[in-house]
Amino acid sequence: MEVKPQSAPEQMDKNHEKTAGQDDEHMTEKKSETWIASQAHGRIQLGSRGALFAGFGALLVLMAIICLDSLRTLGAFATYNTQVRQELLYRERTLEQVRAGLYEASNIARDYILIKSDPHAQEILRTELQSIQNETTTALKACIQSLPEGKREPFQRLARELEHYWSTIGPIFALSPKDKNLGNTVLRGHVLSRNTEIIAITREVSAVNDDELKDADRRIAEVLAQFRYRLLMVATIAFSFGLILAGTTIIYAVRLENRAEEKYNESLEAERELKKLSKRLVEAEERERRAISRELHDEVGQSLNALLLDVGNLIEMSCGEGAFRQGLQNVKALAENCVNEVRNMALLLRPSMLDDLGLVAALDWQGREVSKRTGMVVDTVEENVSDNLPEDHKTCVYRIVQEALNNCSKHAYAKKVWVVVRQEPHHLRVSIEDDGKGFDPSRVCGLGLIGMNERVSQLGGVLKVDSDPARGTLLRVDLPLPSTSTPSRELSS
Amino acid sequence: MKKLRVLLADDHIVMRAGLRALLDRQSSLEVVGECENGREAVELAGSLRPDVVVMDVGMPGLNGIEATKTIVDRHSSPAVVILSMHADESYVMRALKAGARGYLLKDSAAADLIGAIQAVSQGRSFFSPKVSRILAEDYVRILKQKGDVDTYDLLTSREREILQLLAEGKANKEVATALNISPYTVETHRSHILQKLNLHTPAELVLYAVRKGIIS
Repeated sequence: MEVKPQSAPEQMDKNHEKTAGQDDEHMTEKKSETWIASQAHGRIQLGSRGALFAGFGALLVLMAIICLDSLRTLGAFATYNTQVRQELLYRERTLEQVRAGLYEASNIARDYILIKSDPHAQEILRTELQSIQNETTTALKACIQSLPEGKREPFQRLARELEHYWSTIGPIFALSPKDKNLGNTVLRGHVLSRNTEIIAITREVSAVNDDELKDADRRIAEVLAQFRYRLLMVATIAFSFGLILAGTTIIYAVRLENRAEEKYNESLEAERELKKLSKRLVEAEERERRAISRELHDEVGQSLNALLLDVGNLIEMSCGEGAFRQGLQNVKALAENCVNEVRNMALLLRPSMLDDLGLVAALDWQGREVSKRTGMVVDTVEENVSDNLPEDHKTCVYRIVQEALNNCSKHAYAKKVWVVVRQEPHHLRVSIEDDGKGFDPSRVCGLGLIGMNERVSQLGGVLKVDSDPARGTLLRVDLPLPSTSTPSRELSS
Repeated sequence: MKKLRVLLADDHIVMRAGLRALLDRQSSLEVVGECENGREAVELAGSLRPDVVVMDVGMPGLNGIEATKTIVDRHSSPAVVILSMHADESYVMRALKAGARGYLLKDSAAADLIGAIQAVSQGRSFFSPKVSRILAEDYVRILKQKGDVDTYDLLTSREREILQLLAEGKANKEVATALNISPYTVETHRSHILQKLNLHTPAELVLYAVRKGIIS
């Protein structure tokens, strides 16, 4: 994606450097168009990618905000709830204390009346009553203090009533033992009625408290509902946003994937084309060579032979010596030379043995020729090799052995080469081993080896090179044979 | 004297004309037919009953070597002289295996054809001197390269004598008559020779003789 815009301007520059012809300018125009197109394309790509990144960022921020807000709201809610409940509890406790105080005070008063003559016990009861009075008064006062203005009224009423009560109960303790019957009356008549009233007030206050609690609960429920609504809204927004984002991402990813697959297919196609082309190239070369070889051999060679024959006839017919006969002899010698030249050329291009006599004869001949030419000993062994090998296989093996022998004598300075061709039911195996100086196959890969590999792989075979400096080279070729090896041996024409 | 009947098989018309001009000047020969491929050669060999067939190697349809094989298999009478451009062992061997008696290089046809036709018609083998020379050279070179023992040294002088006669194309009986020994003795010698030289067929024996320069 980023490579394109870079390489295009380079090519443009090169174009400018090379020529300034009209065709070229046209080309440049075209190129710059494609360049702009690819630039725009790149921008769109960058834009959509940026948008995706921004979208994901926004989604994350939104989710973080939702989380924080929820935490904060829940915290505040908990605090408020606790506070309300604590306040109510406090008030209820105070009321409870008041009730307990009253109950106790009544008991004390009764006890006081019942005790006949024990000043010490009477004193204790009086002190106790005093302390209860103090405690309840203080607690109630503190409670009233803690309340807001509006809510004080029932408590103040309670305080006033309580004050009244204390003042009513006070005289009982002032009575002499004789008047204790009167005390009983007072206790029963006033104090107990006060007591009942105060209890009623405390109930009233409790009821108010309950109302307040209900009120607080309602408020809490309201706040919760609001919170739920807000959460739902934000979550819905986030969800929709996420959905859109996911959709966009999927579309983007699918598009990228499609493009990658397209590119991959293109490259595969190109590779296939290349393979096909190289196969056709090799085939064309071989065909051309054979055609030229045949032409030389059959047409030029035969004509020269016929010429030789005619010249021979002429020499026979021209009786006696002389310049004419000598001239004919010269022509004959020249023609003989030509025949040899033409034959050698034809054989070099493609040996007629390969087509006339088959692979075995051709390999043997080649071995002898190389041996004769270079002095290198070539030991050729063919096992089970049939004359009906497919044309392509014959040519492939012949050319590989040719190239290998060439390498052995030219580069490896070998003294001896062993060529073994073995035919098995479904394979044709070739090995060429020399005692030359060898090489490092991982570092050296000449054009010859590439060519051999190409030929072998076209027939679905495998080529292995086993070599090491200071050791010879072993070249192994394994060609699969078609299951029905059709006799394709061409008889010469 | 009865003229030798010759059939010419060569796909190259100019070549054929040249050969014909050469042969027509010989009073002892008669060209009874011409053809331009192996199949026709086989047919004409059957119908014309020539004494000698002069056969080109490279011909369309059926090549000269295959045609020779068919002719020799079907009719024992005509002797075949192969005309070839190649002085190579592979070709010579194939020609001999197919049953050819003579092997001639095209560029020396003018000089050697008449001799070759006469030789093969008398049941002898004939090879262009150039072929003999090249095969002999190859043989010596390969022997030297491989450091092998020259198996020819293993033969006794009688065996060498018999080898030459056999390679020239003579049957056991003829050899026996020539050397004044029994045909069985010849057969014994023959199997010894093949064993010592590691040869298996008559064609190989002839090729060996050519390589060694025993016959030409």
